Amino acid sequence: MTYQDKTDTTEAQAVAAPVLELEGITVAYPRYGESDHVALDAVDLKIRRGEIVGLVGETGAGKTLLTRTVMGAIPGGGEHTSGAMRYNGTPFTDLPDDKSPVRPAKDIALIVSNPRRELNPVLTVGQQIVNVIRHHLGLSEKEARARAVDMLRAVAIPDPESRMDAWPHELSGGMAQRVVIAIALSCDPGLVISDDATSALDVTVQLQVLNLMKEMVAGSETAALIITRDIAITAHYCDRVVILYKGEVVEEAPRDAFFDRPHHPYSINLLAAFAHSPALREAWWDVPPLADGTRPACRFADRCARRQPRCVSEAPALRDCGAGRRVRCHYPVEAGT
Amino acid sequence: MQILRYILKRLLFVIPQMLGILFISFFLIKLIPGDPAVLMLGPNATADAVAKLRAEMGLDLPVFQQFMIYLGNVLQGDLGMSWQSARPVLSDLMTRFPATLELVTLSLLLAVVIGLGLGIASAMRPRGAVRKAANYYGLLSGAIPDFWLALVFIFVFYTLLGWAPAPLGRYSIMLIPPQTITGSVLVDSLITGRFDVFMSALSHLALPVLTLGLVNAGPILKATQSSMDRALGSDFIAYARMNGLPRRMIRRQALRAALPNIITIISVLYSFTIGAAVLVEIVFGWGGAGQYAVAGVLNSDLNPVLGFVIFSAVLSLIVYLIVDLLYFALDPRTRG
Ligand code: SF4
Repeated sequence: MTYQDKTDTTEAQAVAAPVLELEGITVAYPRYGESDHVALDAVDLKIRRGEIVGLVGETGAGKTLLTRTVMGAIPGGGEHTSGAMRYNGTPFTDLPDDKSPVRPAKDIALIVSNPRRELNPVLTVGQQIVNVIRHHLGLSEKEARARAVDMLRAVAIPDPESRMDAWPHELSGGMAQRVVIAIALSCDPGLVISDDATSALDVTVQLQVLNLMKEMVAGSETAALIITRDIAITAHYCDRVVILYKGEVVEEAPRDAFFDRPHHPYSINLLAAFAHSPALREAWWDVPPLADGTRPACRFADRCARRQPRCVSEAPALRDCGAGRRVRCHYPVEAGT
Repeated sequence: MQILRYILKRLLFVIPQMLGILFISFFLIKLIPGDPAVLMLGPNATADAVAKLRAEMGLDLPVFQQFMIYLGNVLQGDLGMSWQSARPVLSDLMTRFPATLELVTLSLLLAVVIGLGLGIASAMRPRGAVRKAANYYGLLSGAIPDFWLALVFIFVFYTLLGWAPAPLGRYSIMLIPPQTITGSVLVDSLITGRFDVFMSALSHLALPVLTLGLVNAGPILKATQSSMDRALGSDFIAYARMNGLPRRMIRRQALRAALPNIITIISVLYSFTIGAAVLVEIVFGWGGAGQYAVAGVLNSDLNPVLGFVIFSAVLSLIVYLIVDLLYFALDPRTRG
């Protein structure tokens, strides 16, 4: 895929093609003397223009791995074994590669968590934003600086001019998070991915930052993928919710429909954590253990309150259930059950 | 301001450090068997003559008292006499130490060019051919003794090919020595317009510098490679990559992060090589300070050895002070 192809396709496909389209993304870690550990299994995901999608899963579900796969930085020897990724219809594989038709920060920007470790300790805040802006937008040093100051102001950093010369170690966690957001949005990307970006912050700061992100996305054509452990965040900020469990998408639904009537037992399990009724929590959380050594076909079976013998022998497929919903379960909780 | 206070504090520490270094070397050298009085007077001396000379030299006093006397002299700028050269140690070292410094400085420069270049290239392409070659080179440079390499070079480039001049000193003995200004033959000959000496000195430097440069490039290569590896694996480099910054900039940022480690290794090598260059100095008849000190050890000539210790200690302390200042300049976190 060359730059020429990209310009040809974007015009025609921009309207039709989703901003980001992931198709059957599978990432495996080879294991010695065993079959590979499949950390992401055929993950499909579509994000449309201006849409905010929440991807929820617990630690180890593969959320961060999915981000890193998109960003072309799979950690620790994992291999992207199959699947296609497209940005506005343009296929890409290795984002950081200087020759990739789709560029990080310019097209797909990542907001990292733990920004104080991600910012370069020996460059000032300003230098780091200017570097990104200059490289992707080809502005002069002066123009890039002006834009960087604007970005810092946009993310509500007080006194942005003097903050430009601050070192990362002089920033508070919330400030550093804002800087990282400013960097991510500085080149008007088509898609912003927030990888658990607010989890390390105080609750109040977290809300400020999330509101800010939502505003900035709403004010532009940018789409966003918010990756989080905290399902409550998606209730407030997302248009659509995707639930990831052990490397598989188990449920996907528009936000209101999802919170109104979650279908997958795992989704209910997640929501039950917020329920005020202890009885509800117990009903969904106290599950008799599987017999020793069983390897159930459904990955959630060991924690599932609705488990049936079929779940152990036959893996459920992700099936469409209309109204933009998908669920991966033999016995989903649907109306009336 | 903060940096001035820092330097002052460092300089205050220099005094006990120097005292400690002197004290330990003095007693270590006293432990070496051999009596300078016997050596000075030769095999036919009578016991009476030896005893008289010992008393003259103060060798019959308790060791600690000898040390105090020596210390008192050093504080007045008197490093004593060398009985071998029959000259004051200070003036001997003033001509010989610059010879060693010139050799070691140029060698280290060459080592930095090789080590840094190979280290960066091999870290940037972990599966590349350069990496493999660099790894072999790192192993080899650690295993090959410098004096052996020097002898091989002399054999090939002087004996066989005749490209290099005879390994005898810093420049051709046929030339009139240039006026001594800095002590570095290269600099002095340039200043005084003695281009004949300059060219001769360059050709005499080539082989010893190549020898020490190639040997010392190994550790610099290893340090560069490993600290670049670590930097490239760090979160902020991963973040820079995910921001689509170009390879050039990634390399520069990683090198910047690796720099403190590399500087440390270079400074340690520099101080170390001042003494360790002695075998190469001997092979090339360099007339350097290390050679002078070793001759002192072999002949129970105490003052040259201690003088060398003082000179190298002062040099090391200067080097480490510079390194500290560099750290200061490199890391914004230390500037508070
Ligand atoms: S397939 Fe069975 S075990 Fe799996 S989530 Fe559905 S009901 Fe539970």
